[in-house]
Amino acid sequence: MTETPVKVLVVDDAATVRLYHTSLLSEAGFAVEEAANGLEAVEAALTTAFDLFVVDVNMPKMNGYTCVETLRSETVGTPAPVLMISTEDRPGDAERAYAAGANLYMVKPVSAERLVRVARMLTAGRGIPA
Amino acid sequence: MTSAATAGAGLSEADFEKFREYFYKRTGIQFAPSKRYFVDKRIDTCIKNSEFDTFTTWFAALRLSARDDLLQELINQLTVNETYFLREDYQFDSMLRTVLPDVVEARGGANRIVGPIKILSLPCSTGEEPYSIALRLLEEWDLIDRLDVEIHGADIDSSVLDRARHASYGERSLQRVPKKWRDKYFSPVGGGRYQLDEGIRGAVTLHQVNVTDTLAMRAFRDFDVIFCRNVLIYFDELSSRRAAENLYGAMRPGAYLFLGHSESMSRISPIFTPTRLPEGIVYQRPTGANR
Amino acid sequence: MGLVRRNTPPPEETAAPPSADTLLSQLDDPDPELRREAALGLDGSAEAVAPLLDRVAGETEAAVRDAMLTTLAAHDTAQVAEGLAVHLASDDAGLRTAVAETLATMPNSVPALLPRLIDDDDHDVRVMTAMVLADLPHPEAMTWLAVMIREDPHPNVVTAAIDALLPSIGPEHHELLRGAVERFPDDPFLRFTVEAAVK
Repeated sequence: MTETPVKVLVVDDAATVRLYHTSLLSEAGFAVEEAANGLEAVEAALTTAFDLFVVDVNMPKMNGYTCVETLRSETVGTPAPVLMISTEDRPGDAERAYAAGANLYMVKPVSAERLVRVARMLTAGRGIPA
Repeated sequence: MTSAATAGAGLSEADFEKFREYFYKRTGIQFAPSKRYFVDKRIDTCIKNSEFDTFTTWFAALRLSARDDLLQELINQLTVNETYFLREDYQFDSMLRTVLPDVVEARGGANRIVGPIKILSLPCSTGEEPYSIALRLLEEWDLIDRLDVEIHGADIDSSVLDRARHASYGERSLQRVPKKWRDKYFSPVGGGRYQLDEGIRGAVTLHQVNVTDTLAMRAFRDFDVIFCRNVLIYFDELSSRRAAENLYGAMRPGAYLFLGHSESMSRISPIFTPTRLPEGIVYQRPTGANR
Repeated sequence: MGLVRRNTPPPEETAAPPSADTLLSQLDDPDPELRREAALGLDGSAEAVAPLLDRVAGETEAAVRDAMLTTLAAHDTAQVAEGLAVHLASDDAGLRTAVAETLATMPNSVPALLPRLIDDDDHDVRVMTAMVLADLPHPEAMTWLAVMIREDPHPNVVTAAIDALLPSIGPEHHELLRGAVERFPDDPFLRFTVEAAVK
């Protein structure tokens, strides 16, 4: 029996963060693609139906909040869950993320176990990995 | 292919990855790993043409000093910059099937549209692109007899514009033009060259302009469709931003912008809205005040 | 009907360009498109620098703000760099990232600000500074990033600096990177980053 793997888009301008999140999520069985800023993520989401977005906040060209707003807008209109991960821990950041349309906001550093657990939780029912 | 054959510039895997990431960040062009041999050879040529001896010193100068000449040479080496009729034709398919019908509808429909539909080819080089647009509209767009269409070509280089005005082309340029169209719109002028019909030549307006010059670009207004293919990658960060902003100013709200097939606005400017068409991604000037 | 040629340019092509004074007053027009055009049209005007700096943070339309920043960046002077750098601390993510991008195109004036930015009390400002240095075309960018990796007390700043240095990392940096792991032994991401960088 072949199952469709759960597709995740990792969105971060830092190549090391993309590599880290991609390797953790790939090992856990997710099919991961990467985008280096918010606008690239929007373009990727126009051509591929992702099951989860993992989005940084501070990125050039299009920041994380605007990215999530655009993913939720009619430009893309994805219903897929969005996890925002930020280095920022300012008052109001989480509220801003939720207002933009994120499902969960976390502050770095996020442990490997927690990232995988949250990714599984957010994508439960979307095929493997269960 | 053997590992000896891929040695080329003597790039290690890590160097190649660093280069790939840099070039992508700078130009939006991503090389498949299968292009490794090609890329290695072209980098080798760039290093040989520079005053540097090694990849490391050349790459450091490329990245850390404002050496536009090094980048220009690199892009010239790594991009195929030839122009011919009906190049990247799938974008003209997009224009005919999706973009123009949407433009007509957004402007009130074929019976109520006021003013011409305006299409800009920038850079137009020796004219193949604006004339290809003209041919495809005349041959394939059912509304061409009911609506006015203005086609404009613009380029910074006056010598290519002179050749565009003359509009005579060799076999290589015309290889993709169907024989029927060639017989109908071109006449042999000797030396294996064919000149485009005067009616079409006369219908396309040509301009000399630098796309990064905001003042000069003010003359370009209310375009419905712009083709700006394979030029923004040549500019540095600030110039490409200014060029994108000038193009935005030349477009009607809701108008469409086509970039080259390996190019993306995502490394240049967020002011456009990417839109997916069956043939690929195209950019629109947002219609509302918000983007 | 059909293809039509436009033989005479419309009036706006032949009209004289608006004066700097007209454009400056247009910066406060309620129509964002007029503000955007004014900001772009003020390219090269020294007298526009202060009015543009005054308006960057308050501008609500991102496309207008981007046009202002494009025009400001071309000046690459201490006045512009200092006027923009204060916004690296902004709570507005769009503003602070757009400003970081703009500063990264200003290699003449940004270096003078780096001692202050690298020593800023707010670690978020220091993370943004690493983002500026990642793209700043300046031969000393690597040196400052190395200082951040060696000295900064916050792990997120150190990982941001390592990421920014990544394209230039060579064997000469390995000791510096291992030192960072020793300073933050409990940060798995920092460890992963260093392992990826030195492999």
